[in-house]
Amino acid sequence: MNEKIPDWKNDFPISQAETTDVTRRQFAKFLCLVSGGLATGSAFVAAKSALFPEKKVSGSHRVCNKNDVPVGGTRPFVLEGSTTPYILIHLENGEFKAYEQKCTHLSCAVFYKPGTGKLECPCHNGWFDAMTGEVVQGPPPRPLPKLEVEVKGEDIFVTGA
Amino acid sequence: MSTFRRAQSQAHPNKTSTLMLAIIMLLILNVTIQIWLLYNGLNNALDHNPGIAIPAFVGSFFIFLINCGLLYYLPKGRKQ
Ligand code: FES
Repeated sequence: MNEKIPDWKNDFPISQAETTDVTRRQFAKFLCLVSGGLATGSAFVAAKSALFPEKKVSGSHRVCNKNDVPVGGTRPFVLEGSTTPYILIHLENGEFKAYEQKCTHLSCAVFYKPGTGKLECPCHNGWFDAMTGEVVQGPPPRPLPKLEVEVKGEDIFVTGA
Repeated sequence: MSTFRRAQSQAHPNKTSTLMLAIIMLLILNVTIQIWLLYNGLNNALDHNPGIAIPAFVGSFFIFLINCGLLYYLPKGRKQ
């Protein structure tokens, strides 16, 4: 009998054992690459936090008149010289609170939900306590950064917390 | 001189599979630890708690070296 090597074997001259071995080797090397990437990422985080710490808000800034924000209402603002969005909230109990309007999960804008005492992040249903900025539920890992609010006469001022 | 590598390639081919699996498992475990270190270093740094980031980096780098060392023990592909 004339045993012929089928054509496809010539087209793909790779033995099965070799292909499986090679793939697992490559997979292991790839895992090592990922590991190097993660170490590099950690290096960036460490370098950034050690060499360029975030600047704290300094001084006190006027936001608006007290009567501009009704009870249960909010007012977005930015401090001059920065682009970070903040939100001023007039709570139902009469207090004013100011938070960064950036969810600590993936930076979506958060909104005050009147009557609930909570800030809502619509992106992934994250909720923050409007009194303290703590996370009530959802994916955000950290509380909202806040500013201290002072009411001087008719005007509202914020200072870095 | 006989090395671990030589003995390894002369051993029964079944051993290859076991070793491969073991090394890949170790690598996956190490990468998982590194993900955890990165996540916590980052979140603590953003939370004005920068003391975590540097030890996390040192740990992560050390694990990376271990992973590179593990590659040395990868069995070679079988020769025909
Ligand atoms: S961005 Fe706010 S919950 Fe995801």
